[in-house]
Amino acid sequence: MIASLSGLTTEFVATKINYGAVLPMLVVFGAAMIGVLVEAFAPRAVRYGAQVGVALVGLVAAFMAVVLAVGHQGSTLAGAVVIDGPALFLQGTILALSVLSVLAMAERFDGIGADAFTAQGAAAPGSPQESAAVRAGATTTEVFPLTMFAIGGMLLFPAAGDLLTMFVALEVLSLPLYILSGLASRRRLLSQEASLKYFLLGAFSSAFFLFGAALLFGYSGSMDLGVIAKAIGTQSGMDGLLVPGVLLVLVGLLFKIGAVPFHSWTPDVYQGAPTPVTGFMAACTKVAAFGAILRFVYVGVGDSRWDWAPALWAVAILTMVVGAVLSITQTDVKRLLAYSSIAHAGFVLTGLLAFDRVGVSSVMFYVVAYGFSTIAAFAIVSLVRDGGSEATHLSQWAGLGRTHPIVAGAFAFLLLAFAGIPLTSGFTAKFAVFSAAIGHGATPLAVVGVLASAIAAFVYVRVIVLMYFTESGGDSVRVVPPSILTSAAVTIGVAMTLVLGVVPAPLLDLASRSALFLR
Amino acid sequence: MSLIVSLAAGAQNGVHAIAPSLASADNPIADFSDTPWWLSLIKALLVFVFLLINTLLVIWFERRVIGRMQQRPGPNRTGPFGLLQTLADGLKLAFKEDLTPKNADKVVFLLAPMIAGAMAFISFSIIPMGPVVSMFGHRTPLQLTDTPVAVLLVLAVAGVGVYGIIMAGWSSGSTYPLLGGLRSTAQVISYEIAMGLSLVAVFLYSGSMSTSQIVASQKSLWFIIPAFFSFLVYVVTMVGETNRLPFDLAEGEGELTGGFHTEYSSMKFAMFFLGEYVNMFTVSALATTMFLGGWQAPPGIAAINDGMFNQGWWGLLWFVIKLWSFMFFFVWLRGSLPRVRYDQFMRFGWKFLIPVTLLWVVSVAFIRGAQLAFFGESTRTATVIVVGVISLIALAAAWLWEGQHEAAAVPAERPEEIDPFAGGYPVPPMPGQRLREPSQQAERSLAGSTGHPELSDQEESRG
Amino acid sequence: MSACAEPDLREETDLGLVRLTRVSPYLTVGGVVLTGVFLFVAGMGARRLLAPYAPTAMKLTTYECGVDPVGDGWAQTNVRYFLYAFLYVVFAVDAVYLFPWATVIRSADLGMASLAEMGIFIGVLLVGLAHAARRGLLRWV
Repeated sequence: MIASLSGLTTEFVATKINYGAVLPMLVVFGAAMIGVLVEAFAPRAVRYGAQVGVALVGLVAAFMAVVLAVGHQGSTLAGAVVIDGPALFLQGTILALSVLSVLAMAERFDGIGADAFTAQGAAAPGSPQESAAVRAGATTTEVFPLTMFAIGGMLLFPAAGDLLTMFVALEVLSLPLYILSGLASRRRLLSQEASLKYFLLGAFSSAFFLFGAALLFGYSGSMDLGVIAKAIGTQSGMDGLLVPGVLLVLVGLLFKIGAVPFHSWTPDVYQGAPTPVTGFMAACTKVAAFGAILRFVYVGVGDSRWDWAPALWAVAILTMVVGAVLSITQTDVKRLLAYSSIAHAGFVLTGLLAFDRVGVSSVMFYVVAYGFSTIAAFAIVSLVRDGGSEATHLSQWAGLGRTHPIVAGAFAFLLLAFAGIPLTSGFTAKFAVFSAAIGHGATPLAVVGVLASAIAAFVYVRVIVLMYFTESGGDSVRVVPPSILTSAAVTIGVAMTLVLGVVPAPLLDLASRSALFLR
Repeated sequence: MSLIVSLAAGAQNGVHAIAPSLASADNPIADFSDTPWWLSLIKALLVFVFLLINTLLVIWFERRVIGRMQQRPGPNRTGPFGLLQTLADGLKLAFKEDLTPKNADKVVFLLAPMIAGAMAFISFSIIPMGPVVSMFGHRTPLQLTDTPVAVLLVLAVAGVGVYGIIMAGWSSGSTYPLLGGLRSTAQVISYEIAMGLSLVAVFLYSGSMSTSQIVASQKSLWFIIPAFFSFLVYVVTMVGETNRLPFDLAEGEGELTGGFHTEYSSMKFAMFFLGEYVNMFTVSALATTMFLGGWQAPPGIAAINDGMFNQGWWGLLWFVIKLWSFMFFFVWLRGSLPRVRYDQFMRFGWKFLIPVTLLWVVSVAFIRGAQLAFFGESTRTATVIVVGVISLIALAAAWLWEGQHEAAAVPAERPEEIDPFAGGYPVPPMPGQRLREPSQQAERSLAGSTGHPELSDQEESRG
Repeated sequence: MSACAEPDLREETDLGLVRLTRVSPYLTVGGVVLTGVFLFVAGMGARRLLAPYAPTAMKLTTYECGVDPVGDGWAQTNVRYFLYAFLYVVFAVDAVYLFPWATVIRSADLGMASLAEMGIFIGVLLVGLAHAARRGLLRWV
């Protein structure tokens, strides 16, 4: 009695904070706050430049802070944040990919503001307010602070040491994305529909996550992943709560990566959202969410995996098959890439199911490779125009290889990477996850994965054939000459796809060196 | 049963064993160990009686004082000095027909006055009205109960009380109440934030949210002095919270008839009326407790005869005096100030009260930090330096603000003659302006004739 | 000791109170709520006994300054009330964090860091408020 009482009545103890370890997040959130101030007080004319500058400087500074944080690894903020190898690797990845995403978002061709975003998000599509906002030269420069907030949440997501922090990170990264999806400058209604769908389904999945966290709290008496892991070995009388809790938390996390059967939002949102934002979501959100799943599964509940891993197997198989098969029927480039991203989520899950250090490193390598390719791919999609709006229907891409060989070549190369052809990063990444799966008793998964890759390859090759060996339907489709920003994003993305395909060893080394979770 | 008893016994032992190490300031200092449950019940009833009698009195008091301020006698027929006037009015309400509009949502329509009436009393249960006194052979504090988070309870109950208003406005199925209810809600939640923030400074000084602890920590210095700005903010917000003039926008008669209670009659209306006045007592009692030393005697009197006036039932006297001086303040405001415009009211709350109170909290935190030796051992020097720096910053800010306003305050050109219908609706002339008759204007534009000078003169004298 | 008081004792100790009370403070508060509800019910009962009740269709219409009301009173509400509700939530949560901080700052080992952190916390809120104000969200038109 006394012991329990004194446990409850201990004096308040201040938490020690290792500022070196959390500096990357602080830098990103600080840049986001500066962005809010710029939005509030800077004159309209200088906002665009200031926002892009603040965002890029903040991201680069945060990347350097990640490099510095290697010397500050450990659990901080009373265990709420754990900065270890995987966390740092994924944070670095997110920041590098974010730089590309921000470059793509900042593209304005010859307009006054970022081209992909509407002049005034609050105005109803086609309303007098909207045209007044366009005439007045309004620009939605809020997208940059919003992106920074989302990135801040993504940095926290894979580093969360307890379920509550993980939930906060999930919300911090999600809420800005809901808004960003609704801000497309063209096809406004589609964009707003995407935003609402994403929001409603996202809120639903957050509820699943919370419910699962509550059950795990009931099981172990703590939100801390380490404590939950310890509780798994012991009989507590609440054992029935463990598996439902794990599954519900996984539902919330799998929603974010768009795994089947929690994928239904992906095509609609990817299609409706502004194309650079789609690239950002496809790359960075996936990295962060896979980081969180890795930590939850490996640090938290790994010891009980025999109880729930079959469910994850089923999800992985379904994700690969459904993603690959449904991409065959797609006629819209953005939807095609969306289903492709679903299939890729399935491939990553096979690596995750290895339940070994190799699994962690292969997953981390895969998300890096896929992230660079997908941002570049979506950046290219945003360049192909038909009379001002994006030409996303596949038939409009016919003959693009002849009229615009460079852009079509780059896109074809990225598609080959998605298909997993050797000498691209896609091959090495797939090789890594499948070999991890085979090495640790998940051979059936790898077999399904290879088959699904073959199906998906057919889709990608079909697009390439369309671009190079089909007559163009009309000459209204053209590629808008990109500025230095998009050019840089595409170039870096394609270059990384090539480099990781030809000399993957350094990054694989880094991934396997940093694949050890701090427990 | 036996399990419960043994648990309780174990808890008692455990508590006694660790008691010395737990002299935490979070816990209430009021000692209820000699208060049996029946005495709590009696005290609860006394609180109700106290509030009901005070409400009856304050309504009479308000009408008399406002009468004096307007040079008329006020109610003076019913009973000595008209003292029974309120009772008569209350009885009259009970005899009136109670109507529920056809459009109304019946259940919510009934629930709303219940919430408004019943919730108003709760907060008073944690107000300390006096020190320990002897009651029916038991030594018990003149306070119904206390918890470590007593002040939060008051804020929470205030939040629930808003439901009474919004439910009344919504359920009436009528436009005026709906608007009044919404306005009132926006108003109350806006000012509740500033109220809560102003109390943070008090918590910083007292280190506790228990009301008895807060009163005890004002033994040497009432918090009105170190937290003077919080006191000012609190006084403004408490008027806003209770929907009293000059902030009674929710029931502004000129705009919204009766606001949220337009459709209410008879006892249900009486409940809203009662709730409003009890709320006035509650916020005043909280102000007394938080800033004016609660039931403690004023500094000079407290020193007489070794604190004689700070003991026993004397505390109740000081408490009631302080409480009623706030009530007088409420009445005084009502007698002397016109209603604030709604946009100005909201602007004042959001653009001045909230940010400035937040900054004030930071300043007080730094002062407290200096006193608690955060900046070094010599606390006195550190405090003086911190206070000095804060004052300088405040002065500089005030100076900048002033300068900005002077620059902005270029007197606008005022034309000699105005067209009252220029903006589409009638506008009265400013002093010294002539009014142009619209009919004349029309005539002039039609026939090209000049206006009649004698008519404009007439207008001028009329305006 | 009466039977009903014992569970409260446990509750007290769980809260870490040193001095035992006979009745839990929250039970007392609950009692006050019930008494208030009883007061309301009594008032309603008195009204039922005393007041006349003779409704007519005219009496039961809602009040609209003597004009017959058109439509029902549940009009669509202006969105600006909604914005204030949002802002309220933000600042109410902020106040919730400030209260416990204010009561523990007396322990000197918190030191300068806690002051700076709380300053930053409040600063972030002020930035948000400034943004809202600059965007005209606080302008009541």
